[in-house]
Amino acid sequence: MTPRRLTPVLRLQECGIIAVILVLGILLTWFGGTVRAPVFERGADGARHRVYETGADGARVPAFAVRNKFLNAQNLAQLAKDTSFIAIMAVGSALVIISGGIDLSVGSLYALASVLGALVLRHLGPEGSGAAHHGWQGILLAAAACLGAAAACGAINGALIVVLRVHPFVVTLGSMAILRGLAFVITSGQSVGGFPDGLRALVRFQAGDGLTVIPLAAMVLATVAGWIFLGRLAAGRRAYAVGGNEQAARFSGIRVARVKLLVYTLSGLSAGVAAFLAIGYYGAASSGDGQGYELSVIAAAVVGGASLSGGRGSALGVVLGALVIQMIGSGIVLLGIDQNYSQIVLGSVVIAAVVLDNLNTWLARRQFLK
Amino acid sequence: MTAFIEFRSVSKRFPGVQALDGVGFSVARGSCHGLIGENGAGKSTLGKILGGIHGADAGEILLEGRPIRPQTPLEARALGIALVHQELSFCPNLTVAENLCLGDLPARRGWLDRARLRARARGMLAEIGSTADPDALVGTLSPGREQQLQIAAAVGTGARVIVMDEPTSALSAGETREFRRLVGDLKARGITLIYVSHRMDELFEMCDAITVLRDGRHVSTEPIGATSPDRVVSQMIGRTLSAAQSAHLDLCPGGERLAVAGLASPGRFTGVNLSVRAGEIVGIAGLIGAGRSEVLQAIFGLDPAATGEVRVDGRGLRLGSVTAALRSGLGLLPEDRKRQGLVLTMNVRENCTLSALSLFSRGGWMRRRAERRAAAEACELLRVRTPSPESPVAGLSGGNQQKVTLAKWLVRSCEVLLVDEPTRGVDVGAKAEIHRLLGDLACRGKAILLVSSELPELIGLCGRILVMRGGQVVSEIGRPDFSEDALMRRMTGLAA
Repeated sequence: MTPRRLTPVLRLQECGIIAVILVLGILLTWFGGTVRAPVFERGADGARHRVYETGADGARVPAFAVRNKFLNAQNLAQLAKDTSFIAIMAVGSALVIISGGIDLSVGSLYALASVLGALVLRHLGPEGSGAAHHGWQGILLAAAACLGAAAACGAINGALIVVLRVHPFVVTLGSMAILRGLAFVITSGQSVGGFPDGLRALVRFQAGDGLTVIPLAAMVLATVAGWIFLGRLAAGRRAYAVGGNEQAARFSGIRVARVKLLVYTLSGLSAGVAAFLAIGYYGAASSGDGQGYELSVIAAAVVGGASLSGGRGSALGVVLGALVIQMIGSGIVLLGIDQNYSQIVLGSVVIAAVVLDNLNTWLARRQFLK
Repeated sequence: MTAFIEFRSVSKRFPGVQALDGVGFSVARGSCHGLIGENGAGKSTLGKILGGIHGADAGEILLEGRPIRPQTPLEARALGIALVHQELSFCPNLTVAENLCLGDLPARRGWLDRARLRARARGMLAEIGSTADPDALVGTLSPGREQQLQIAAAVGTGARVIVMDEPTSALSAGETREFRRLVGDLKARGITLIYVSHRMDELFEMCDAITVLRDGRHVSTEPIGATSPDRVVSQMIGRTLSAAQSAHLDLCPGGERLAVAGLASPGRFTGVNLSVRAGEIVGIAGLIGAGRSEVLQAIFGLDPAATGEVRVDGRGLRLGSVTAALRSGLGLLPEDRKRQGLVLTMNVRENCTLSALSLFSRGGWMRRRAERRAAAEACELLRVRTPSPESPVAGLSGGNQQKVTLAKWLVRSCEVLLVDEPTRGVDVGAKAEIHRLLGDLACRGKAILLVSSELPELIGLCGRILVMRGGQVVSEIGRPDFSEDALMRRMTGLAA
């Protein structure tokens, strides 16, 4: 018998997503329209100044330039920044999804990590009692609190799933509520601000026309880390195996419990990284942060080709998926559609992505059976 | 005698196996017709075709002279054919009465009429003389009670033909007695029974005629008076053994590599003692449900409830830990390669190295070149026919998939292999290659414990065969005394 080859219809899932991104970009450029924006220039001292020109009547009037609403450096830089928070979390979430699980608690985890990090930062900030420690040490301390708490919460999720043998959906649904509640209790619902200036300046450091480098660099790092984990480390291979067929993984001597514990911890950690960047960027945190992030993150993973039945997905795909999700979100703002529609669109996109994925599998299988 | 049901050259093919090949015989009205054959002979498949679970690829079935083609169990039910089967159970979260009337719940304007529901269920249960409580949850019933329920549902919906697939395999002795009485009642009502089993004693006690199937083909249909258990056994086997003998059987086995003493697991098997020496293949024969696979899985650390002593190369093994089993040099080729053996979303290379990831990584990083080389070597050694080791394993034929599951343990160079049904659903060519390979491994001093439902496979490869029945090792046969007849008699309980 000659071996038959299983050929997926979309051979490179990433190519498909890139195509989607390009189409979205073109559509938004086309339909986004134009906007009159004031023109700035950078003076000799490095500060930005308005550019003035002399009008027909000889008066000095501020200069305006007509720019495309979507396709301008500022908007793209903001899109990249917004994407990076979601993308970092989505990489972590993708590890969980690839191993056959689901993490609904990332949004709440993000909020809890944010407020914990923010409390440390406020303590060290100008109005805090520990202001003496400010500087790099303080920022590192806050980062440690933020990431450590997030990773610990992720590990607890994993431990509950493994030890109690409860479905991850239920465990993380519960922790989604618990962690959000904890964040609220800790802050009494108040926003936490008043950080040392160093952090904000660092995270907000801009290159060129408004391009924040740090969140972008963190996103690239997270993508590379995810790619290495999934493609180059034995642990990643184990995650694929557990998601692809948990029983076969167990029969092959893979310690399934450890794999699960690891991926949920990493998912938590990635939410912590995103949280720390966000508090650095916004300079404040509240228990209401990251509301609905779980939907965006899972949507990014699913759109990025991670299979909710486990065993399939890639870090790059998921990050591209996050970009798609963010483009849809900002597209809705850009086109002047009511914000409330974004939830509807996001939900529809998730379902459509899963249906497309099923269709793809079905076509591949039909081809294989022929 | 007019034929009530007639099978005319019914054929059915599953991926990799011809389950039924031109089977034709007829069943008399109101009789209990036994269907017997080895595991995989096609008897259950035939029952499922009649019951509408599978569709036949070719041939036809006549019911009272009219051709029928039930496509779903519901259509079969409409024709008066019901299937009683362990896998077709009820909703465990509903009550007996609700389950019995599930297809037609008595309701008034959408409101469930509980009184009528209960009354109707009680009537159905009384029909077959069952004393089951209509308000009990089905999930709390014993397998015997649940089976009664299936029969009550069948009779209650006017079934004229009931197909029973291994009806007594999960029953206690008392329930089996009750069941035999019930079969007599059903026959007295003129219901035709098709009784699929490989328990010789039951068939001869209850059936009016027996059809023997072998390898998907019809061998004989004879009235009970014209045949005998011995005759049926020889008809079930009916093969001549291949003369070629693997080289490892000529070698003298070396020292003991695997020793199992007093291995037990509640509800699965008890008091299993065995030993396998270097260069030896020891077989375990038994019917489905005898506890063979469970013993292998317990040795491999997959059964947390297992107790007893397992020693590999003289060193004691901690039970209940696959990691410990792997470290001691054990490997398990599981019986269900798709569920337990392979990760179908992965490619051939990734499956080959699945159980040896720590060997192919340093400090957590995969050694990709070493991994690729090992996978390519294993594929070549086993002659896995795949376009490349990077091809998805899901695209391979059954035989080649099975070779990949075996490659997993070669890559790890396991010393003691536990092999469970290595050639199930595998084509003839691959089967011979797997047999050759197991022989080669034994020649190289590995110890192999082989579970198989195919007696020729056991007889061809093993130096000794243990026979299991009802969770116990009931006898051990040495190579000089091998015969399918002797094995089958011990497996079915005709001889000790």
